[in-house]
Amino acid sequence: MASTVIGAGITIEGEITTDEDVVVAGTVRGKVTAKEAVTIEPGAVVEADVAGSSLAIAGSLTGNVTAVERVDLQSGSRVIGNVKAARVTIADGAQFKGNVDMDV
Amino acid sequence: MAQARTQSRGDVREARIGSGARVRGRIHGDGALLVEGRVEGDVVIVGDLTIAAGANVESDTVEADSVTIAGTLEGEVIAKGPVRLVAGAHVRGNLRGSAVSIEEGVRFAGRLDCEFDLPPELSGAAHAEERGRAGARR
Amino acid sequence: MATDVSIIGQSARVRGRVVGTADVEVLGFVDGEVAVTGSVTVGVHGMVGAGIKGRRIVVRGSVRGDLVGSEAVLVEEGARVVGDVRAPSVAIASGALVRGFVQAGEPDTTPATRTTETARAVPASSVTARAVAKPPVAAPVAAAPRAVAAVHHPPPQVRVTTPVRSPAPRAAAPAHPPAVAANPPAPHPTPRQPPPPVVPAFKKARGQMVKKRER
Repeated sequence: MASTVIGAGITIEGEITTDEDVVVAGTVRGKVTAKEAVTIEPGAVVEADVAGSSLAIAGSLTGNVTAVERVDLQSGSRVIGNVKAARVTIADGAQFKGNVDMDV
Repeated sequence: MAQARTQSRGDVREARIGSGARVRGRIHGDGALLVEGRVEGDVVIVGDLTIAAGANVESDTVEADSVTIAGTLEGEVIAKGPVRLVAGAHVRGNLRGSAVSIEEGVRFAGRLDCEFDLPPELSGAAHAEERGRAGARR
Repeated sequence: MATDVSIIGQSARVRGRVVGTADVEVLGFVDGEVAVTGSVTVGVHGMVGAGIKGRRIVVRGSVRGDLVGSEAVLVEEGARVVGDVRAPSVAIASGALVRGFVQAGEPDTTPATRTTETARAVPASSVTARAVAKPPVAAPVAAAPRAVAAVHHPPPQVRVTTPVRSPAPRAAAPAHPPAVAANPPAPHPTPRQPPPPVVPAFKKARGQMVKKRER
């Protein structure tokens, strides 16, 4: 349960490192490194490289994305950067520009 | 800097400065002191000091075993034991004691100098504090 | 999930600033400033390596930086704070460890002692009036003219009344002064007594202490 939640009214300028999961609904400028899942909610603005066990992106992300298991770009998301994961899904309505590397 | 030590702990000595009284000069000695009136001068006692609501103490130094303040005090507070500022207190001066507590609503301006270490992750500035502390130690 | 409260999880470490308009709970380590318009809570194992600014700040963990609350700062038992603490309301629990300057309440001057208050009541213009230490004369509504009158007739209040009436029209109101004059801040007319240098030590018999009071 104990996870990190960056709410809508909060901006983090810097690096976030955690052994657990992270939910971003606010703004992060820097870097996010999690051992578990990273969720980027609609409305979130992430200008950072993000790494986690798995990533679900519904907001805006500019940076490189690396996941051990999977990356899901959901409808409404906007991602500019390279994505590297064992499995990647890009939903209809997602905006994406970058490379996809599924070769882990 | 109290004078003679207590001869027998069992013999409790208490003194009281009543609400209508006004003392100008240094107060020192053995035993608990309750100030309800007005004191202008240093207070150095071996015992518990209580400054009641409505009391007013103006001094350079106040020294006691423990200090409880509900009234007004201006001066440096040095206690062997706890220092407590309770609701209604109005204090100006530095506080030093084994434990310092300040209730919500108290008016206070001064330094608190408890001796302790921060966790290692935060200890950057703590080392500088240690150096300062060594000099300030009595 | 409610995103009103942001949480820096216990295993999370942020190297940078946390800013914004919402509430923040720091259970992990923020190696940087936290500056929000909401509330900030630092959990028991939480650590913040720089200052914290918020509306209401509650610290149960460790902070190396200043705590500046626009409403209140509460430092709870077990907390360790090295830095200044400033807020209209500050509460520091008995088991809390704080090292720094603490400002609780509005920054103001000396906890006004009576002597200071009386001095203030007297209009600054009349230096002599203050030396008199008979503030009732220069009552709170004090206008310069009245103060001047006071100078001429320092001690007896009665005499002052008369001249006061003529110059200042305002004088009409407090014209029945002796009673009114008593009202204003002036405490008892206790001017200076020759101060006894040292109060006898308590070691002396209690009986003697009692006697002294009765005197």
